[in-house]
Amino acid sequence: MYPDIRPHEARLNVTWRGQNGDLIDPVPYSASDRQLKRWAQEAIEHGGISGIGRRGPISLRDFVVDRFPASATTPFNRIFIRPKTPFG
Amino acid sequence: MSAPYRIVIVGAGALGSHLLLLSRNLPGQLTVIDFDRVERKNTLSQFHSRMGLGRNKAAALQQAMQGLFGIRIQAVPHRLTADNAAALLSGADLVVDCVDNAPTRALIQSVVRESDIACLHGALAADGSYARVMWDEVFSIDAGGEGQATCEDGEHLPFIAVVAARMAMAIQRFLRDGEKCSVHLHPGGILTL
Repeated sequence: MYPDIRPHEARLNVTWRGQNGDLIDPVPYSASDRQLKRWAQEAIEHGGISGIGRRGPISLRDFVVDRFPASATTPFNRIFIRPKTPFG
Repeated sequence: MSAPYRIVIVGAGALGSHLLLLSRNLPGQLTVIDFDRVERKNTLSQFHSRMGLGRNKAAALQQAMQGLFGIRIQAVPHRLTADNAAALLSGADLVVDCVDNAPTRALIQSVVRESDIACLHGALAADGSYARVMWDEVFSIDAGGEGQATCEDGEHLPFIAVVAARMAMAIQRFLRDGEKCSVHLHPGGILTL
């Protein structure tokens, strides 16, 4: 999985209703939040993310996009699309 | 920093109350801050019992920890505000954010950054589908939460307990090794950052 993520790319991970998975292909790290959400939304709707069951129409409008650059422990960029977490 | 540590937990609701339960073996003085009172609905998703109904949450936990385990903790039955935050947090070795609203998280973040205090944040999605256990260096505050009801029927209790356990593990690891491990959690697994 992701053998060749280049420096300008990122692994995109999505959590939707408690299910979680990665988009098959890397995405540009500089892609806009809106674009990333659109790719993730369409992938979920068509069963394109392993780990997330195929869904009908969904919305990621209220979701958050987090970006984490490559580090010593994770040698590639990562982007997470996730629900808001305001509670404690 | 050396033991005994001064650990301040802000928020004694779902995460804070369970975290306290799981932190009873930590080598330090535990302080809990919360202004809220225990209601019947809280007993389904928080470590509060019928014995605490109507009491301040911090005071109720103080009594519970003393009664159940013989452990003394400090209870601060007040709301954290801009006027008292520095005084309540600045002497801590570690601050743990378990609150349910963005303004208070921002206040905590401001104080710990200004005073260079280690800070662990716990944050839950409303539907119990996701959580973050993150050190302040990588934590971003999500808007929302104020006045919203969440988990009043206890549906998410097991997940809340898992998240609180991860927080306790992160604290143990930090106190033992100085390592700051942040994670995302969903009901099916954990993602390490």
